[in-house]
Amino acid sequence: MMAELALQLLDIMLVAILIGLAWATLESKDEGRGVVLFIAFGLVLALVWARLAAPDVAIAEAAIGAGLSGALLLAAVRDQKRAAAQATDAPAEASWEASRGGAVPPAVPWALGVLCLGLALMVAWAFAHALANGAPQRLAGEVLGRLSESGVTNPVTAVLLNFRACDTLLELGVLLVALLGIQALGPQRRPYAPAEPVLASLVRWLIPALILTGGYLLWVGAHAPGGAFQAGAVLAAGGVLLRLAGRRSAGLPGGAALRLLSVGGVAAFLAVGLALLLAGRPFLGFPSAWAGALILLIEAAATLAIAVTLIQAYLGGRVPSADGGSEPRWPATPDGPNP
Amino acid sequence: MTEAVVWTVALPLGGALVAALAPRHGAQVGVAIGVATLAAAVAVLVQVASGGPLRYAVGGWTPGLGIALHADALAALLLGMANLVALAASVYATAYFTQAAVRERFWSLWLLLWTALNALFLAGDLFNIYVTLELMGLAAVALAALGGQRPAVAAAQRYLVVGMLGSMVYLGGVALVYAAYGTLDLVAVSTRIAPEPAAWTAMALMTVGLLLKAALFPLHFWLPPTHANAPAPVSAALSALVVKAAFYLVLRLWLDLFAPVTTPDSSRLLGVLGAAAVLWGSWQALRAERLKLMAAYSTVAQLGYLFLFFPLFAGLPEGSARAAAFGGAVLLALTHGCAKGALFLAAGVLQRRAGHDRVRDLQGTAQGLPATTFTIALAGVALIGLPPSGAFLGKWQLLTAAIATGQWVWVPVVLAGSLLAAAYVFRVLGHAFGHAPGPGRRVTSVREELPALALALIATLVLGLGAAPLWTLLAASAGSPAFGGAPF
Amino acid sequence: MARHTGWTQPVITTQLLYGLAGVALLSLGLRGALAAVSMLRRLLALNLMGSGVFLMLVALAYRGPGMPPDPVPHALVLTGIVVAVSATALALALGRRLAETREGD
Repeated sequence: MMAELALQLLDIMLVAILIGLAWATLESKDEGRGVVLFIAFGLVLALVWARLAAPDVAIAEAAIGAGLSGALLLAAVRDQKRAAAQATDAPAEASWEASRGGAVPPAVPWALGVLCLGLALMVAWAFAHALANGAPQRLAGEVLGRLSESGVTNPVTAVLLNFRACDTLLELGVLLVALLGIQALGPQRRPYAPAEPVLASLVRWLIPALILTGGYLLWVGAHAPGGAFQAGAVLAAGGVLLRLAGRRSAGLPGGAALRLLSVGGVAAFLAVGLALLLAGRPFLGFPSAWAGALILLIEAAATLAIAVTLIQAYLGGRVPSADGGSEPRWPATPDGPNP
Repeated sequence: MTEAVVWTVALPLGGALVAALAPRHGAQVGVAIGVATLAAAVAVLVQVASGGPLRYAVGGWTPGLGIALHADALAALLLGMANLVALAASVYATAYFTQAAVRERFWSLWLLLWTALNALFLAGDLFNIYVTLELMGLAAVALAALGGQRPAVAAAQRYLVVGMLGSMVYLGGVALVYAAYGTLDLVAVSTRIAPEPAAWTAMALMTVGLLLKAALFPLHFWLPPTHANAPAPVSAALSALVVKAAFYLVLRLWLDLFAPVTTPDSSRLLGVLGAAAVLWGSWQALRAERLKLMAAYSTVAQLGYLFLFFPLFAGLPEGSARAAAFGGAVLLALTHGCAKGALFLAAGVLQRRAGHDRVRDLQGTAQGLPATTFTIALAGVALIGLPPSGAFLGKWQLLTAAIATGQWVWVPVVLAGSLLAAAYVFRVLGHAFGHAPGPGRRVTSVREELPALALALIATLVLGLGAAPLWTLLAASAGSPAFGGAPF
Repeated sequence: MARHTGWTQPVITTQLLYGLAGVALLSLGLRGALAAVSMLRRLLALNLMGSGVFLMLVALAYRGPGMPPDPVPHALVLTGIVVAVSATALALALGRRLAETREGD
């Protein structure tokens, strides 16, 4: 009874912090501070996921939602500030900074606020109504009931990689499209600063640990929280760290190997699915005896694909070759330690 | 052999992977896979025509637990049209791109867009629709920005943000549906749905999200710059197929899923917005200085016609009149897809030759490209809605239904829209036929001009004269419980 | 409000609390996206909108401390997170390209 009350108090606090951080993110005057608040929001959201018994989502949120999204956004803010600093004789381009005194008439935010409040009330009422009258089991009963046929014991992995595999296949396609789109925009100019010695030496320990963690998450995803997305995100974090520590290529291979890894996730998924189709089974219909092994195979390929895609997205599309390519470089430092 | 539905998705996806690994051979891969995919789509259409709607459970799991692919007459016809237009644009694209860097990037993105389109038309699960919408949207954005030119990139970024907004709103609706009905399968939801707050809030959210992607007035602001600045084959796909896919989803949701929840008032709202789109789009097309911008505004207008059908569906009782109106809507959608594809491809040819696409200065170029000019004329006939194009039959059904239900207000809108369309089409043709025709070859470049010509001929002749089998196909499929209850 | 056997009041309260928080985030994000002055803010707002919908989904997946949660919304949210980061990455790359062309490279 007391425990329930304490838990409800915790819930209310978490919700308040969450909404407060969201509000602060949107209202902050400085864009860099806004991104940092957004990262904090993501981490609190990961706590909420853990509270709601969603550990898979919590790991993914912390690694991808807060971590990698945050890294991408921070890099964008840094690039903007650098560009603004260089364009000292172009003050008009300071529109990057929050200059609300622009062309928006004061009535519009009010009208928008009223509109969004109305929308919120309508959706909230519909949601409450649905919770009250909707079927409590939803799909959980079916999924948990047929879990044994799926080849894994983690229900989320079963849904992602077996029952609703079509979604995951297309979602890996979405990742690939984003990568191809980023690459098509041409080589990005990404000057980087030389690494600090502390970070450079820390990386020597961190990268193996991250690789181990990623491998563990991939392996354990079959029967415990984890899986390809979480593992891929952890490996991508390692790549970002390498880049920050001075390794220009962030540990990525070049040329054909990189292309192969990038498409490998979709390729493995599609190959397995079509092989099953040609063997007389439904598309992506894993036989129960082999399902676990096939899922692990697909997840392994997907982990690598997710990792290299997210690292390349952070690098801005082009992996710098050993000779530096078209990047303007600040005073060079030796490459970071080998992972 | 219902596996054809899987091949329509798996073939372009596999082709995209090959094109990403071997970019130099992208064009060969693209056209070869395109032909194969079109064959698979035709196989689906043939199966649906002879055997009724198809349903394929991916992974063998019962739909609900797993994801199902559906193909009824509506989906199969649109699938066929989409694959045809995509193949034509692919053939054109083999000759369009001059810069190797752009050309190598194009094909993998293009095939991924193709995958998304096919997966969307066949989707039978609400969340799967969300993922296909995102795949389609991101691929379209990446293709629209290809080349890195500033106007194209700026328009593409706006398109991306609008698309993200639409997707999030749509996903909110999906969450409500799952909360209330505990399933994501279209058939299952349609059997459980009832008029209650969760249902119509979900319908509102999902519709708004999809209207953003379908560019219905007033949510159309992102379309003209995006379509006008993209490379020509991409513009063809965007105008003919991508926005059509969003319209298809609205049609599917309103007629099949949310049928008990829609009200005549909400249908009338869609009709009003459609009418505004017709008038505003046609007017802006008339004022456009560039051919591609004119074509983009014409898309806004033509989509308006499609949304005019919604109040008519609401007003007609179930029966042959409603089936005829539905057939008209589908025919209009198919014709516009082919005609707009043809127009953008032809505009691309003109732009390549002349270096620009300003309507006023097209004379010399158009003289030297008789096949392309003929294509524009044919496509124009289909856009105006003159006989024997499929659009004529579609608009005829629109007018008949409007008079039959007593909703006279749509009649002047359709007539005004058609008059304005005639005005902007003849304006272009008038500029094109400025001088006396000079001696020259009929078709200067087969790869560039034939696909557009073929599409225009289909739009203007085949779909109009060959509409009867289409009607019987739609009517036959309408009666079967593909979606848990006959819509007509 | 209907009562379901096996469900205690705290579960629905928790679901409702977090679900309504999700709705609040959705509308906050929407307002932010419509009123944003820069692309970066718009992207932050859109991500917040997404988080709001994800919260709605995970909230209704929660079935109390004793029962395992509904895994389907968890899978949907995982997919959604990856899709959102992909779209954000592409949007940021487009913005970088715009900034480059403005500098006149």
